[in-house]
Amino acid sequence: MARIFYSILGVALLALLACIFFVNIKADPPGKAETAVIYWAKHKVLVKNKTQKDPLTDNAAAISDGKDAFSHYCVACHGLDGQNTGVPFADRMSPPVPSLAGMDVQSYTDGQLKWIIDYGIWPSGMPGSKNTLSDDEIWSIVIYLRHLPQAGSLGEPEMYTH
Amino acid sequence: MKLKPAPLSIFAAMLLITLFVIQTTPAQTAPRRIEVTAKRFTFTPGDITLKKGEPVILVLKSVDVPHGIIFKELGVSTKVNKGQTSELAFTPDKTGTFVGHCSVFCGSGHGTMELTLHVVD
Repeated sequence: MARIFYSILGVALLALLACIFFVNIKADPPGKAETAVIYWAKHKVLVKNKTQKDPLTDNAAAISDGKDAFSHYCVACHGLDGQNTGVPFADRMSPPVPSLAGMDVQSYTDGQLKWIIDYGIWPSGMPGSKNTLSDDEIWSIVIYLRHLPQAGSLGEPEMYTH
Repeated sequence: MKLKPAPLSIFAAMLLITLFVIQTTPAQTAPRRIEVTAKRFTFTPGDITLKKGEPVILVLKSVDVPHGIIFKELGVSTKVNKGQTSELAFTPDKTGTFVGHCSVFCGSGHGTMELTLHVVD
């Protein structure tokens, strides 16, 4: 019995060493297969809260509130327009920072977008913002995401311009 | 014989009427002033009970960074800079519990910074 246990332990240690020596931790772009699998997993399984509706009314005031809340710190990674304009590292991360106007993001439901902003997505670099932003602010951001301006129309975040 | 009211009696009667009118006219009460201190990530006090229809002034003071308070359901808000005060004057016109949030991003706990108003009859 003990021999079997130590054999399994040895194999596990070898596998761990192999991982340490051969796994690439450079922030290279993910391959097509990895991207496709993760896309499916996120949309269908991992990101919860698919059915919750946005309690705020989608109107000009809510869009303005969302834009304001978005500017607190989302802009550091997503740019003022949510499309990475002026963000110097957006395409140097693995995975790259997505355009929030793209289908990858827009195909989430409102509830899923709220969940992502609340809890973040590991290991993408997207942090959770629950308690850092209020529920109202997060829901207003969801509305803003549905009405993003034209890419580049708002300029670059101030922090990257000087 | 004609009875003429004495001028003094007329004056006394007018004075009485005037006093009566003044006494029965509702007094214009000064708004209730409540000091609220804003500091990352709390308002102190965090719960305030108000009377519906009673004018109030929330005197908001920030002791660290810029903060703000917004009560969306009541349609009132104000902002305050570090070390300064700002007055939020309003008269609650409906009863209920209303939660106000800090309206100026102030850091990692900003989303939890709340002030609850209980408006009663």
